[in-house]
Amino acid sequence: MKEVVFDELQEKIYTETLENGLKVVILPKRGYSKTFVTFTTKYGSIDRTFKPHGKNEFITVPDGIAHFLEHKMFEKEDGDVFQKFGLNGASANAYTTFGRTAYLFSATNKIKENTEVLLDFVQEPYFTKETVDKEKGIIAQEITMYDDQPDWRLYFGTIENLYKEHPVKIDIAGTVESIQDITAEHLYTCYETFYHPSNMLLFIVGAVDPEEMMAFVKENQSKKSFDQPEPIERQFPTETKGADIPKRTLTMDVSKPKLNVGMKCTSTDQQGQEMLESELSANLVLDSLFGRTSPFYEKAYEEGLIDESFSYEFSMEEGYGFAMVGSDTEEPERLEKLIRQTIQDSKEYWPVKEEDLERMRKKKIGQFMRSLNSIEFIANQYTRYEFNEMNLFDVVPTLEKLSMDKLKQAFSMFSDDSSYTVFEVKPADNK
Amino acid sequence: MFNKIKLQDGVNLYIRKTEQFKTVNVTIKWKAPLEQSAASERTVLANVLEESNEKYPTQIAMRKALDELYGTVLYTDVSKRSSQHIVSLFAECVNDEFFAGEDVLKQLFELIRAVVFEPKASEDAFDQTVVEREKRTVRDRIRSVYDDKTRYAQKRMLEIMRPDQPASISAYGTEEAVSAITNKSLHQAYEDMIQHDLIDIYVVGDVDEQDIVTKIKESLPFKARKVNERLEEKHANTSEDVKTVRERQDMKQGKLHLGFSTPVTFRHPDYNKMQVMNGIFGGFAHSKLFMNVREKESMAYYANSAFASQYGIVYVTAGIDAELEEKAVQLIVEQLKVMQQGDITELELNQTVALLENSIRSSNDSARSQIEIYDQYKELDENFTADELISKWHSVTLEDVKEMANTIQLEVVYLLSGKEDDSK
Repeated sequence: MKEVVFDELQEKIYTETLENGLKVVILPKRGYSKTFVTFTTKYGSIDRTFKPHGKNEFITVPDGIAHFLEHKMFEKEDGDVFQKFGLNGASANAYTTFGRTAYLFSATNKIKENTEVLLDFVQEPYFTKETVDKEKGIIAQEITMYDDQPDWRLYFGTIENLYKEHPVKIDIAGTVESIQDITAEHLYTCYETFYHPSNMLLFIVGAVDPEEMMAFVKENQSKKSFDQPEPIERQFPTETKGADIPKRTLTMDVSKPKLNVGMKCTSTDQQGQEMLESELSANLVLDSLFGRTSPFYEKAYEEGLIDESFSYEFSMEEGYGFAMVGSDTEEPERLEKLIRQTIQDSKEYWPVKEEDLERMRKKKIGQFMRSLNSIEFIANQYTRYEFNEMNLFDVVPTLEKLSMDKLKQAFSMFSDDSSYTVFEVKPADNK
Repeated sequence: MFNKIKLQDGVNLYIRKTEQFKTVNVTIKWKAPLEQSAASERTVLANVLEESNEKYPTQIAMRKALDELYGTVLYTDVSKRSSQHIVSLFAECVNDEFFAGEDVLKQLFELIRAVVFEPKASEDAFDQTVVEREKRTVRDRIRSVYDDKTRYAQKRMLEIMRPDQPASISAYGTEEAVSAITNKSLHQAYEDMIQHDLIDIYVVGDVDEQDIVTKIKESLPFKARKVNERLEEKHANTSEDVKTVRERQDMKQGKLHLGFSTPVTFRHPDYNKMQVMNGIFGGFAHSKLFMNVREKESMAYYANSAFASQYGIVYVTAGIDAELEEKAVQLIVEQLKVMQQGDITELELNQTVALLENSIRSSNDSARSQIEIYDQYKELDENFTADELISKWHSVTLEDVKEMANTIQLEVVYLLSGKEDDSK
């Protein structure tokens, strides 16, 4: 077990990669009552074409399968796993993203018992035709629920505009139609391929003794047998440069139009420290151009082009990435023009001054320190960073040394004219 | 546990010293009676105060100052509890120990002082442009509920169940009430809030208690005020008939919201028993609603119940295929019926108590939750502890749960669903 101390942050982590390939990370938190444990596989909605474990041919599985699998892990021959967690006083959940599926619980009691439930239920798949078919109704309602959420449609509509081929454009849960094709056999194939311990990470954070927990996890894992780890071969289509569709509009029953500008990211082949620098820089650039201290924000807010729904984000993973800026607005055309103008102007005349960089650096460092109060943040983010060969605790030192050139470089990743798209949700005119 | 320090009549400071967090949290709460037009005024006021002050006259200046203080957070919000309207100011800064030579906490209190006591205003009026802008912002916020179909359906259900009563009055007030605000009425609302509201101030973090008391007395010189009698919740008349209301919008899913009334409220001696009853009914993933409506019948992705204890309401929400409304209502009502008949297991009881215990103990890990929970429970007992609450849940019996289920009465069935010609 390796111990790594982050003095400036007053945090300490313990890590070990077990014989079966499972990476275990433990972070004890002084003064905390609860423990939060996540068990995550590097497998999400974009992993739809791959070589199944032990096979040589690529296959493509129905859309929404990673999320479907996540749902189905909870049902066992002897009933629902929530029942067990409940009796142990643990609040359990799971989520699927583009690139990860995480199973988790938080509890203030019986941490070992609950960790055992977590490890065992994720490592003992049980799928039958009946249970799979039964789940289709539940997930269809989940998909329908998202269909009625204008902000979700706006977000996904923008991604669909940006990407022509890459599966990031496919809704994480799939569609009501695509999930009908999912079978128990599909689930086993995906499970065998992506749930090998060597493709997973267990993160334990909270009121725990690291030695004791590590020994407990090891013992649990040593009782189970797994095949030798094999590298997983995924296949992704070649994505064209630039946004696929420049603009689309969707009509929904909303009170005010919603506008979202998307910018597709180039150079998404980064990992590790390079990626960390790029994403932190891109975030700082967006803060300077669109944040609450920006001339853009002041003008847009004063003129009523944006309201409290205004937001922006930068998101990057291996193979895809984008920046987004959007808001509810009565004047989508004018707002779009102002966003676009802000991007254009920044290309001609770089608006970030040294003093701005220093101020934002301070802000980001403070924000990061604050987020370390949340054990959920630590577990979820550490895992995401690790899967991208970055370390969460490098954020502060990296922020401290980010240069203006790095910011300019990050800006150039998404500021090309061709990368630009617009998605709009318009109110139905039947009111 | 919080240490209470009385600063003035009606102005109390609660400090919790802990090394658990990397930040210091400061919350100020102004409490006044909940009333439609006052709620709107106080909401706009909260925004105006957050925006600008004499020291930092523009939003940019204010936000830059916060950024310089290592991303210190400072914002206002409004909420309601029972028949009380609450304006809150939330602030959080990173512990000074992380940044050698800085005194962020001291500067934070100076900032808070500017926000509360030095708004950008002349004798009796705020900056007119700011007022109009924030009126617009709050109107937009109220209107945007329409876009969130679950929130909208819940709002409608409460309006039908408890028209013009605290349960259905929004903490933001109404669009009309916001429009009616004048600069003068807003300034009057400010004076009222500063002079007459009950004020609770909370500080959680690695602080020196005496130092905090000194800083707060300096930066927040609130005067004494008359302490109002505790606001009692008025119990609404319950109707015998079940009202069924169906409304339509352009949408796909059916949002089914059921409102049940109960005489048991937050201050009722059976409050803790009702929390357990709600947990078994639909509060958790092992509950009757989850297991039957979702898992057994596959009718919904979510089917939950919640206990709005301040208003004596238990409500159920489920996202369903609208064509299955009748079946869903029947199934939900049936889950309650079996509980009324006493069909509840020890397992369900134990799971529920374990999860209630987990949730209250977990709240200890967030300074904000500690503040919010204590602020609510101190009304019952100033020496409130989680252990006490937990022991009360542990003493709840199956018979108690059955009894609680029998106090519940269905009042409203509300369904928001798509237009008929949408199914093509």
